[in-house]
Amino acid sequence: MPELPGNTAISPATLKRLKNELMGLMMANIKGITAFPESDNMLSWIGSIEGAAETVYSGLKYKIKIKFSNDFPITAPTIVFTTPIYHPNVDKQGNICLDILKEEWSAVYNVQTILLSLQSLLGEPNPASPLNVDAAKLWENQEAYKTALLEHYNQNSD
Amino acid sequence: MKITLKQYNGVATWRWNTETEDICGICRLEFDACCPQCLFPGETCPIVEGTCGHIFHKHCIEKWSNSDKNNKSCPMDRLPWTLVKKP
Repeated sequence: MPELPGNTAISPATLKRLKNELMGLMMANIKGITAFPESDNMLSWIGSIEGAAETVYSGLKYKIKIKFSNDFPITAPTIVFTTPIYHPNVDKQGNICLDILKEEWSAVYNVQTILLSLQSLLGEPNPASPLNVDAAKLWENQEAYKTALLEHYNQNSD
Repeated sequence: MKITLKQYNGVATWRWNTETEDICGICRLEFDACCPQCLFPGETCPIVEGTCGHIFHKHCIEKWSNSDKNNKSCPMDRLPWTLVKKP
């Protein structure tokens, strides 16, 4: 099968694994998380994460961008929120502080496990290592947090 | 009735002797297939078992262990990665 022009520079091992990932995600069809290659370049994906039920993020949907490197899965993908998000562990540029995407990365993680981890990070932030100090402080007070969260969401989502 | 066997073709199948897993967690391909860098399965693309009991394609776990982050741990359980000594 001829390869799409955007994929010719990707190592065969990474390309094979990413196709495998895409197939797995489509088959599993998990509620609240999506991810799909952005164009004909398999190294660049877009996706979305919906807050889990019974968390303050329930019903809120955020877009993300996933960039894989040419030696994935040896190195972790880079993930940023493209919808601005009010969260203790995400900064204004959408960068995420999550150990499994940094020093705790393992080659056996896949897109599905990462997205599910991000989904649980929404409802269970780690206020001890904040990228958004205001949100981290407000987390203690769930009522006030939800008000600030919804206001931020309504201003920024489309 | 008497038959005379003139010719026969032998056919054999093989698989790696793994009891627990069928798929390499690093490349997500079957052990009985080869790692993504190899073209043919078999002795040229072997599998290896760590003392923690996890199995990977030799080429896949070597790539992980030799990456610049100095990952000397099993990707599955983060225990130190050392090969099982074959008897």
